[in-house]
Amino acid sequence: MATINATITINSDIGMGANISKSMNMHKFQSAVGLEETDGLSSKVFNATTAVKIVDNADGTAGKASKVYVRNTGSSKDNFFYVAFNASAAGATTTETIGKLYGGDWMLIPWAATAATTHDIFVAPNTAEEMNLEWMVFVE
Amino acid sequence: MATTTATVNITSQDLTPGMPLNINASSTLMQTGTTTGLELMDMGTGKLTEASADDQLFKSLGTADSANYVYICNNSTNTDHYMTVTINATLIGNLGSGEWLFMPWNCSDGSAEIEIQAEPSGTIDYEYAIFKSAWTLPAAGS
Repeated sequence: MATINATITINSDIGMGANISKSMNMHKFQSAVGLEETDGLSSKVFNATTAVKIVDNADGTAGKASKVYVRNTGSSKDNFFYVAFNASAAGATTTETIGKLYGGDWMLIPWAATAATTHDIFVAPNTAEEMNLEWMVFVE
Repeated sequence: MATTTATVNITSQDLTPGMPLNINASSTLMQTGTTTGLELMDMGTGKLTEASADDQLFKSLGTADSANYVYICNNSTNTDHYMTVTINATLIGNLGSGEWLFMPWNCSDGSAEIEIQAEPSGTIDYEYAIFKSAWTLPAAGS
């Protein structure tokens, strides 16, 4: 088994402030055994607003644990990637857009690799200007 | 202006033999499409008891397609215990014991609430935080 550790730190001076620090080891579903597989860290340059699938439901296994890390490696706070569970990956009124990753933003989520296209993960830039994304999938 | 910074470090010495993994990422969280820091935050802890239906953790914020960020941690130490996390009934994934998530949430429409559920039985301690661009107070009586 492999040991994959992820530590988050959030510091904020909003109101009374927040200091969150939490470390986890990525485990198999209902287990203390670590995740063991990955296709590695991927990256892509985008030059269009067209939605692109970055994670296929077949990359994981239904009923097993998976994690997905995604990061907009740019610095612009004007430009962003939509991240969504659908091919259109647009903003409002789509089922189901997760959120927007602006320059420097990242996410790390558990991913239910339900064996259906409803759980493919797509991204779509909001601009045709050059943007860069990196992502990595961890599976059992 | 407030400053909120979220940092992640992902490491593994043995996932890929001979190639240690070390990812570092940090972002200062800004209001939608600006370089002005977020100024709204809710955080807390709770106990989530297994039930047949999801519980609503974050209701629609009233400002669609905005920049918001969500942190949730399953503080259970029982490896059987996990939390399902959904947006508008779409399952994102299962958060195992001791695991956390951090993600953007654009609150794409009025139905895009975030829901959680304890599985498969018992009660799970959890903690959460949400950092928001905007928030519309609910109308009186709603």
